[in-house]
Amino acid sequence: MAFEQVNSFLVGDIGNVHTRLVLIDLVEGQYRLIASARAHTTAQPPLGKVSLGLDHAAQNITDLIGRELVSADSDQLFLTPESAGHGVDMFVATGSAGRPMRVFLVGLTPEVSLVSGRRVLAGSYVTVTDMLCPDDLRSEEEQINAILSGEPDMILIVGGTDDGADDILLDMTRKVERALSLIKRGTMPSVLFAGNKSLRRHIKDLLGEHTNVFVAKNVRPAFGQEQLFPAQIELALVYDDYRSKSPGGFDEVGRYSQVGVVPTTQGYISAVRYLCELPGRGIGPLCIDVGSANSAVVAGVHKEPHYIIRTDLGVGHNAVGALQAVTPEKLTRWLPFNAAAEDLWDYMVNKQLHPATIPGTPEELMVEQALAREIIRLLVVEARPAWGAVDGDELLPDFRPIIAAGAVLTEAQHPGISAMLLLDALQPTGQVELRLDPHNLVSALGVVAYLKPIVTVQAFEAGGLVNLGTAFCPLGHIRRGRDAMRVQVRLPDGQVLKRIIRSGDIWAAPVLPGVTADVTVRLARGLSIDGRRRIRRRVVAGTAGILFDARGRPLMMPRSKERAVRFMEWQNAAMGRERRARLEAEVEPLPSVDDLLAETDPLSNLDQEQETADAVLS
Amino acid sequence: MPYYPETTVIQGLARVVRERRLPPQAIPRLTPGTLVGSHVEAMSVVLQGDLLHDYRILDAAAALKLRRTDSDQMAGMIQVSEGQRIQIGQELARRGRGRRGKVLPSPVEGVVVRVEGPLIFIQVSERALEVLANMPGEIELVESHKVKIVSNGAVLQCAWGNGRYSYSVFKFVPEDGFVGLSKLDPRISEYRGVVVVSPRPLNKGDLMVAQQQEAGGVVAPSMPANLREFAMQLTFPVLLTEGFGHRRPTPLIYRLLEDNMKRQAAFDAALPDPWSWDRPEIVIPLPAGGVLPPTPALDRALTVGALVRMTRAPWEGLIGKVVELPESPQVVDSGLRVPSARVRLSNERVGLVPLANLELLG
Repeated sequence: MAFEQVNSFLVGDIGNVHTRLVLIDLVEGQYRLIASARAHTTAQPPLGKVSLGLDHAAQNITDLIGRELVSADSDQLFLTPESAGHGVDMFVATGSAGRPMRVFLVGLTPEVSLVSGRRVLAGSYVTVTDMLCPDDLRSEEEQINAILSGEPDMILIVGGTDDGADDILLDMTRKVERALSLIKRGTMPSVLFAGNKSLRRHIKDLLGEHTNVFVAKNVRPAFGQEQLFPAQIELALVYDDYRSKSPGGFDEVGRYSQVGVVPTTQGYISAVRYLCELPGRGIGPLCIDVGSANSAVVAGVHKEPHYIIRTDLGVGHNAVGALQAVTPEKLTRWLPFNAAAEDLWDYMVNKQLHPATIPGTPEELMVEQALAREIIRLLVVEARPAWGAVDGDELLPDFRPIIAAGAVLTEAQHPGISAMLLLDALQPTGQVELRLDPHNLVSALGVVAYLKPIVTVQAFEAGGLVNLGTAFCPLGHIRRGRDAMRVQVRLPDGQVLKRIIRSGDIWAAPVLPGVTADVTVRLARGLSIDGRRRIRRRVVAGTAGILFDARGRPLMMPRSKERAVRFMEWQNAAMGRERRARLEAEVEPLPSVDDLLAETDPLSNLDQEQETADAVLS
Repeated sequence: MPYYPETTVIQGLARVVRERRLPPQAIPRLTPGTLVGSHVEAMSVVLQGDLLHDYRILDAAAALKLRRTDSDQMAGMIQVSEGQRIQIGQELARRGRGRRGKVLPSPVEGVVVRVEGPLIFIQVSERALEVLANMPGEIELVESHKVKIVSNGAVLQCAWGNGRYSYSVFKFVPEDGFVGLSKLDPRISEYRGVVVVSPRPLNKGDLMVAQQQEAGGVVAPSMPANLREFAMQLTFPVLLTEGFGHRRPTPLIYRLLEDNMKRQAAFDAALPDPWSWDRPEIVIPLPAGGVLPPTPALDRALTVGALVRMTRAPWEGLIGKVVELPESPQVVDSGLRVPSARVRLSNERVGLVPLANLELLG
């Protein structure tokens, strides 16, 4: 079927716990998200067949919208092409489930080609078993054992500029050939070559008799030049090949998917590339995915995607590894109760045994959310150098929007909590747009962009993401309890919400999702947004309303004695449940925003306003 | 919308089909007695093989003190061929005869994987492998790396195991627990070589007593997570039926164990691995009485009336019956709004439980 004739896409994402399906179709000339559903992933034994999970999710979509998707024909997974309102024109699949691909890396120089090789791999679910370069002082026997003992699924060979010197790389490849020739049982690793283009034929001749050789454009075609994208695309094909050989029935899904099974993060990277092109403020979007086994941060920085994927951090399958990485001490900073380290270890090991389960009590929920916060913080610290952040600078660059995926972030008890998790973990400054991607739409659209880019552009514009809202997060600190933000929110019906927010507090303005409001924020001395103490913005409220975070940046964590009270205050405030509200009575008519801004000392009459607020509360 | 939860098998009598495998890298050996239809005991070896690991590269030319070699000359001197098993000291290459002759003996046991000019590549045998049947039964299928065994009996799947195995009789711990056990003389103790079942969570002292008393294994609901390393060093199986921390026991499991006390059972404390078919489990072989017992179904949708076990707080380990499956997501104890089921517990109390925290009992 020609791509021009393809109007509907079904994108399946096979995660370690959930299998999600999104249906995108043409409605009144525009591609939109029609429906989404999810089911348990069925890759693991005893079922060991991912198509079952896809089938369950497709049945759920059918139940929701009445559109038949599952094919009764055993030669097909889904009804294709679309006909009479049933079926779908094209199915594509992404996946993050299963053991990460083990990769052995071969390159010429540790500082150049091996670094680029690692960057190529950083966009996929891989673990690097070992590396080899000409500087390696090990004997040939040790080098061969280094290649083979890690039982790699793939060997990535990089190095040399195009048409540059080739002898050394060829010599290294001969070692690889010798190692491959020794494998008589078990898995034969595939080879991806992304080095000097003049060596392509030699490499294929040398290694092709032993294994599949994939060839991509050189990651370092010339001095000072780096191109990773072609190698990443080819890596996605190797990943599909690896997945199809892995247990879990991925081969079947890969056969029916137009692009095989693409790593979910490849979808994110591709989508961020597109989002970078869309007009908007800030340096680019930031996507965060905290999954059960893997976690990833993909950021668009000046129209280029930068990413970090950790295959050892997650809130389910890798909960123990995550706790090891973040340490119980750091995790307990986010808990309003005392939790012993032993209890946290017990919890994480149990979670790892049953990764698909969800917290059963509020305390358990807080533990998992605390872990998610710390995982994000860890990823951000690792990613920061690639964003060009200055060493020691803890502040997040001006990413817009910030998009969160992964059930722990998207399915919190309240949208305000999802927002708070992001604010806590990322500590953004200024005006921030927060979005949730509960359907993994970003990744899906990233993959669809390979096939039909217009779908990606239109579906993003049609708003398939959940708008959490805009958060105003001033930079700087003032003493706790002092008045920090003076906020006025003018709604389209003329109603005005006024609020004075003390330092250390959060306020979620109770504005209905989708409502456009004019927001005026005036800040106390020592605080600023975009370098200013007074700002006026028109914003669209999200499911969490409009958020004002006066806790300062960098975020000062409460002392342990205060932690329980403060933490619960933050949670309640983010959910719009206020314990100590200082909301002023709405009075009509109110002075205009301009009048308010014209005041010489905006914080001079705070005491009076405090009394008014206290009176309202009493 | 149908929901397909995970299934844990806890059955008094079931048809048990289990696969035993050699690692894919292992070289299988012919195993006498492993034939389709033959009966095996739990401790019968059903698969044998060699696990090979590191590679050695031996330069025959250097060893035989040859300055220049042509390939024909070298080929005549090398005494082994690709695929050949070799023993330590076995002659790999020889130059000349008699006292002046030079010999390259193999420094390792293994398999010759490649001969390239004067170079001999050997993959070294790491260890010989023997895979046990682990339960008495009948062999249904034999392949080079795999054997399928069928049996009948009670099956109790557990949450965690320390990677050990034992086929042994089992007894409940004395009423005063492992403290009581510690008072016994290990030489004449009735618990010696017997798997000890405790319905109470374990602590390090309990495991040390079991070790001291030379118990055949330990089964308990839970133990602290920080004992994992210690438990994995023990030579006997440690099986946790529920998980880690202070977990209450699933009554059905301990009732079944009580009913079958002093029988022999296979305690397979496999380390949980989501990508492996092996789950830690206890299989108590039982006569089927001429009736073919059911094979546990593993892909069932959750329905009203289904028997389920709760895997998370506040009712973890309790068994109940699904009485309602609300169509829309419900707010549960944690505050999350999630698809849920109303479950009637044994005390007639009805609780709202997230579907994700339920497992079907097979």
